[in-house]
Amino acid sequence: MSGALTPIAWIVVGYALLVTVAAGLGVALKAPRPGWLDQLAWMLEVLAIVLALGALAALDEGRPDELTTHLGYVAAVVVMMPIALLSIREDRGSWSSGVVAVAALATGVVAVRIMMTR
Amino acid sequence: MTAPNPRQGPHLVLLAVYALFVLAAGARSIVQIATQFDEAPFAYVLSFVAALTYAAGWFAIRRAAHGRPAFARVMLWVELAGVVVVGTLSLVKGDWFPDATVWSDYGRGYGWVPAILPIAGLVWLHRSAPKEDEAA
Repeated sequence: MSGALTPIAWIVVGYALLVTVAAGLGVALKAPRPGWLDQLAWMLEVLAIVLALGALAALDEGRPDELTTHLGYVAAVVVMMPIALLSIREDRGSWSSGVVAVAALATGVVAVRIMMTR
Repeated sequence: MTAPNPRQGPHLVLLAVYALFVLAAGARSIVQIATQFDEAPFAYVLSFVAALTYAAGWFAIRRAAHGRPAFARVMLWVELAGVVVVGTLSLVKGDWFPDATVWSDYGRGYGWVPAILPIAGLVWLHRSAPKEDEAA
């Protein structure tokens, strides 16, 4: 895989875990979803976009064995968090943080899958 | 207990996970069916069936959150039965599965979330159901 892509992917994975833990704590504490959690989630989305662009740029260096699957992961890593945040835009309840946790964890998993399929 | 608030509650997390699995199982099975169907047709069709089940499960939980749990009561048991049957078959009849399905080994490839999900849904359904004496 591309030399530059690996560190970006691991940054996404680490940051996604951070957002997952923060959101999970919100659920555990039954606290209304704080505004800063949304900001953390959008920051993760920015990182996911950087990863996706990096993955697309890395295609110049050679095609992955499973190109369709790889591109599917690249698309998924970008769209998951906005869809999750859109689905809870009118809800600041504690369980809405759980949705952020699921989306963040999935983003991390997909980032790993992008590395594995590259 | 009254019907759950459709805008708030643990079902939001269930809906998010179901949506994720519709995407994951659906995309995976469609790609496999389109590009390598001959390698493991039974497994790939089962993965597609799993994706359809997750789509139905998402719809069922959404309906239940709006106070209509009948479909979810059926759908979640169907989903759990699918995981148990396919998971068991994948262990005792491994030659039927040259490639893994979403429900192989009870969903081990997905961190056993496929096995946990219908159980979590049934627990939520049970807890959010109106009690008989309250409903009367």
